[in-house]
Amino acid sequence: MQKVVGNDVVDLQLARSESNWQRSGYLQKTCTTEEQRMILTANEPNIMFWLLWTMKESAYKVLNRITGKREYNPSGLVCSRLDLKETEANATVTSNTLVFFVNTEISEQRIYSIAAQTPLELEELTSYHFPNTPDYMQKFALATPGFSLEKEISGLPVIVELHTGRKLAASVSHHGRYLAITYSGSLLLTD
Amino acid sequence: MIVELKAILTPYTEQAEALENLGEETDFIKDLQINSANLVDVVLDVEEKFGIEIDNDSMAKMLTVKAAMEIVETKLAESGR
Repeated sequence: MQKVVGNDVVDLQLARSESNWQRSGYLQKTCTTEEQRMILTANEPNIMFWLLWTMKESAYKVLNRITGKREYNPSGLVCSRLDLKETEANATVTSNTLVFFVNTEISEQRIYSIAAQTPLELEELTSYHFPNTPDYMQKFALATPGFSLEKEISGLPVIVELHTGRKLAASVSHHGRYLAITYSGSLLLTD
Repeated sequence: MIVELKAILTPYTEQAEALENLGEETDFIKDLQINSANLVDVVLDVEEKFGIEIDNDSMAKMLTVKAAMEIVETKLAESGR
């Protein structure tokens, strides 16, 4: 099975000014009844909303890369088994019969989730954080000698080991001040 | 209908040229670069503007101007308008 990865970052400062999840109908369109309950009863509902949102988005990226289908159905990606600590969280996200595993980092400025198809693949993911500027590919190359971040013909990002041509599955997300790249340390193409 | 859609989309995009040239094939994400959280706002604004309810299956497909127009027309027809 080919490895696929997903990530999603939200700049909480920008999210406050450009999104209002409290508007009438918004939660019903994006969350299940149980997720709505989790948000509305949380100590920090805003953090809980964006936590669940980035979990769904990162899992959607994995789903999209498996099925090749573009579908915008956030309430069809269901977060469960949420284990929430102060600065991190993990959960599973299901879409029909498919299950994804997600980890999230939580800070006052940023919420960042990564997703994979198995807990082991999730553990193997490495993430880099950069300022959200157009030269992020060069910055990534400088930070990781021997590797470059490229785009496949499909438009999906991939990390190439320069000396061997080995390709690693990657995902890029950017929002507001932040840009994050995650990749699988294991081989995308074997033999 | 495309005039009303353009007015709804305007606050959520910074792609002035794509907005100016808005057509049936315009893609909300690829062309207008509307972020996914704001796509929910577009759906809610369309519901309010046209007095319809967009179910989740329809929302899942609402990624282009053409798809949005078809969904609005279908929902309006269903409600006998």
